[in-house]
Amino acid sequence: MLLSLSWLRELTPYQGTAQELADRLTMLGLEIEDIFNPFEAIMGVVVGRVLTRQAHPDSDHLSLCTVDVGGESPLPIVCGAANVAAGQLVPVATVGVSLPGGLTIKKSKIRGQVSEGMICSESELGLAEEKSPGIMVLPETCQVGTPLPEALSLDTCVLDVSITPNRADCLSVLGIARETAMAFDLPLTLPEVAYAESGPEAAKELAIDIEDPQQCPVYRAKIISGVAVAPSPDRIRWRLTAIGQRPISNIVDATNYVLFELGQPLHAFDRAKLAGNVIKVRNAAEGEAIVTLDGQERKLTARDLLICDAEKPVALAGVMGGANSEMADGSSDVVLECAVFRPGTIRKTARRLALPSEASYRFERGVDQVGSVYALNRAVALMLETAGGTARPGVAMAEPKPFTPRGIGFRPARATMLLGEDMPEDFCRKVLSGLGCQLSETDPSGVIAVTPPSHRLDLEREADLIEEVGRVYGLDRIAPRLPRVSKALDDVPAESEFGFWSRVRTFAVGLGLREAVNYSFVGHADLDILCLDAACRVSVANPLSEDQNVMRPMLAPGLLATVRHNLSHGNANLRLFEVARVFAADAMSETSAREAGRLGIALHGLRHPDGWPWPKDELAGYGDIKGIVEALIAHFKLPAGVYARDDSLPWLAPQVVVTVGGKRLGVIGQVTPEVADAYHARHALWLAELDLDALRALADGVKRGFKALPSFPPVRRDVTLAAAAGVAVGDVLTAIAEAKAAIFEDVLLIDAFTPEGTDERRLTFRLTYRHPEKTLKDKEVDKVHEALVAAVLAKLPVTRP
Amino acid sequence: MSGLSLVAELEGLVEACAARLDRALALEELEAARVEFLGRKGQLAAVMSRLPGLDPDARREAGKAANAVKERLTALYDARLADLNRAAMDVALAGFDPTVPGYAPAAGSLHPVTLVTAEICKALEELGFSIVTGPEIETDYYNFEALNMPPEHPARDMQDTLYISDSIVLRTHTSPLQIRTMLASKPPVAVIAPGKVYRRDSDLTHTPMFHQIEGLLVDEGVSMADLRGTLTAFVRRIFGPKTNVRFRPSFFPFTEPSAEVDISCVLCGGKGSTASGPCRVCKGTGFVEILGCGMVDPNVFDAVGYDTERYTGFAFGMGVERVTMLKYGIGDLRMFFENDIRFLSQF
Repeated sequence: MLLSLSWLRELTPYQGTAQELADRLTMLGLEIEDIFNPFEAIMGVVVGRVLTRQAHPDSDHLSLCTVDVGGESPLPIVCGAANVAAGQLVPVATVGVSLPGGLTIKKSKIRGQVSEGMICSESELGLAEEKSPGIMVLPETCQVGTPLPEALSLDTCVLDVSITPNRADCLSVLGIARETAMAFDLPLTLPEVAYAESGPEAAKELAIDIEDPQQCPVYRAKIISGVAVAPSPDRIRWRLTAIGQRPISNIVDATNYVLFELGQPLHAFDRAKLAGNVIKVRNAAEGEAIVTLDGQERKLTARDLLICDAEKPVALAGVMGGANSEMADGSSDVVLECAVFRPGTIRKTARRLALPSEASYRFERGVDQVGSVYALNRAVALMLETAGGTARPGVAMAEPKPFTPRGIGFRPARATMLLGEDMPEDFCRKVLSGLGCQLSETDPSGVIAVTPPSHRLDLEREADLIEEVGRVYGLDRIAPRLPRVSKALDDVPAESEFGFWSRVRTFAVGLGLREAVNYSFVGHADLDILCLDAACRVSVANPLSEDQNVMRPMLAPGLLATVRHNLSHGNANLRLFEVARVFAADAMSETSAREAGRLGIALHGLRHPDGWPWPKDELAGYGDIKGIVEALIAHFKLPAGVYARDDSLPWLAPQVVVTVGGKRLGVIGQVTPEVADAYHARHALWLAELDLDALRALADGVKRGFKALPSFPPVRRDVTLAAAAGVAVGDVLTAIAEAKAAIFEDVLLIDAFTPEGTDERRLTFRLTYRHPEKTLKDKEVDKVHEALVAAVLAKLPVTRP
Repeated sequence: MSGLSLVAELEGLVEACAARLDRALALEELEAARVEFLGRKGQLAAVMSRLPGLDPDARREAGKAANAVKERLTALYDARLADLNRAAMDVALAGFDPTVPGYAPAAGSLHPVTLVTAEICKALEELGFSIVTGPEIETDYYNFEALNMPPEHPARDMQDTLYISDSIVLRTHTSPLQIRTMLASKPPVAVIAPGKVYRRDSDLTHTPMFHQIEGLLVDEGVSMADLRGTLTAFVRRIFGPKTNVRFRPSFFPFTEPSAEVDISCVLCGGKGSTASGPCRVCKGTGFVEILGCGMVDPNVFDAVGYDTERYTGFAFGMGVERVTMLKYGIGDLRMFFENDIRFLSQF
């Protein structure tokens, strides 16, 4: 909320600086985000007196003036306004001043005559919206040479106050003045309101009919007749301008003025446009429509609240008036509404129609039902002062649900306990009564019955009162201390998901991968490219954009986006990983989704880092990414994975499913050229995506143990086999293991190549043999080895070249 | 032949050998010299082969002398060998270039958000908190209602929400973990919850996804002073022991009293200005906002069935990206999610 310091000072005599006020209010929970001068642009404009005026020799509409601006000698100024005259006090923009419209004043020659400034109109100064007919003529009270904003007593100091949702009472000058008065121990004075009334009683001319007291606890209306709709006086227009509001007319401005001063939204109807002698407050019929002030037709639901005359809706309660009952230039009689509506109702309507207003903002946070009487009178007095007319005696009103103050039990001892600092009873009493609460005597159990004032709707419970005591005491003054929590030493939780992920991350970093963090949402279009199942997708109902409208069912789309970003920025060699959740629709879940942890890996470009001595032409491939997966599996001491061809994802080819201990761990594959191309990849782009929940379950099942080191030496034998096309290395390894040679210990592929002109692979394996209880003799090993190789040759289409 | 002449002959071998060794400039020459003097058919052996021809007494004398000479010759040889080896090593080392780059293995790195999350979690775990995690897609109940934000509550405006359906949201904060944790266990509770959160907000200072860390401590007699102590200790661990902490009253629906916590500015140290003018990080105020906190609202305890008279507690929450930006001096929030490796490799 924008708060004018001079407006505040009309309610409480605060004499300190804006910065001191800002600091104090900030520490009371009213954060000041900015202090600024809305008239900064015209601070260089000064009051001048036109000493002489004569016609320009070479123009029939320009005047040559000399203007005293308080300097050593009068300034020659060429002025184009018809109303300029000698003797006037006028605003002068001197050389160097930039006006709000962007015009910078320079010393110039206008048709041969020197001009050292500009006599300004109201609109040129940003003080009026519509183009002014001539220059602004200032009252004689202004001093020559004074900066204009000062001479006009403009609100040159505005504080931008950030009001938290609980402090509806501070959405007004009055509210902040209350806090200021309390903080600096100053009196609070409301403007005196007195006006004459005449004619028939308002209540006799207008009946108020409220359908549901819950929706509208009170509705008051004053009738004023014979007003003249016109622009507001300068001080009201300029004040509203200072806090960013657009002045409209004396009637509307009076309602806005009171809204900002006292926090009570009001609405002025043109009485002539209201049918019958009744105001009805009722819920809209489903599908009913109203054209609001902004000319838009609004379709309503039965939850919206309407203000109606005898025949038709005339306002959308608490949100916006109707176009059909608006005050216009010729209007003369006003029905001035001052009501309180149910906050939730107003909020729903304003949000559904995306129609936030200063009025709805206050209604949905709660307005002071008791204070609304004063606000209504204040607005009537302002209207009578600025628009003339006569107020009818009394108020047309219905208050089916009067404000009932709540009594809250408050224990100073509890405040001391919760704040952790001694809060003596007399201090608590001083704070709470300073906030306007009524306090009872302390009962024998140490409880004070506290009745908060009607403007503090947020004070409902003891905790709220303790917060007030702490806030005024100063949360920053509470001495820090460290908690002592009694916990059994064996109360050690199992490793969290976060902990397990951390281990995976650390290992991935050790393998030379860089961690990426991508948004959890991608676009349906991304998933369509990847042909990911539409049925399991979790869509975002109100996404910010089309590329963020669905939760990732795989990490791949995000990792691919990271690849694209890097490639388009010249980073060609990528080794990336990401650890995050993926999402799938699940009707059985309380959150309608199933979340699973994943590790994603992407490799693109050179196998080795840049630079000597690594080869510059080797690209990362299957072996690189599989090696990473194998290393991870080995790191967690799991049995070796099983790697099998698969084709369930049409955009990965080749595609390999990794299984460990019978559990599917994930997939490795090369992104097909068409899809890779869409992500700007120029080289082979390899991805792996592993299920971290499965990995964790497997890792949790591993029992680490020690095996005695062998006492006898191994014997190694190499064998080279020529494998026909279609024989996988894994087949050979399996066949070797399944030969079940008693002294067989281990086998390692040590070489593989395909001789030119054949499709037969030469695979060299190194087999290790060892006896647990003796040193093997060559002859023994040879016998076993030959038998083993023979078994493999018998089982598979392999030969010994 | 007398023993004396034999001894003299032996003595003569030492000088001859020394001269011969000095002339040996390479290991091969040295070996030849060794063979010549110390070899089985060398000069020493030749002299010694004449020992049996002496009288027993003279033989003993000459034998002693022969052994002494053998030791001296061996020592001379060893010294020369060491010299030559050292010289050879010097030659070899002269070509050694210590500035040749190492064979770089691929370099990995953790994302800065992960680094700072880990640092924050470690500090808080050492203070006694345990880590919990929970779903990122949440029910409206856990995300709002149980946290004292019933439907239509204006506080819901504080966070623009991304919805999956009317009753399911992308969690807007890690605070639902407060509810899930308290429903699952009895006090004392001391947990932290790191994780991704989502808001319908995207501009220079907001991304629709970011990371938070939530803290919750509930026990008998927990007070605002404990909260101040915990956060002061924590903030000093992360930003250094001279960091000052400021509590400003604020509002969160699930805490009462609530406070925003500011720390003395990491750039200007709280002075509000640097040599080049007003501090750009704290905009001259000397403080930067770092987290929100407060005492758990009794309505939240009611929602999880805790006795509001017996138990009190505090909760706090912070944005990891914000802490990371302050710690590392990162100016642009969007860099976190572009994952440019020129950015990632700096951490």
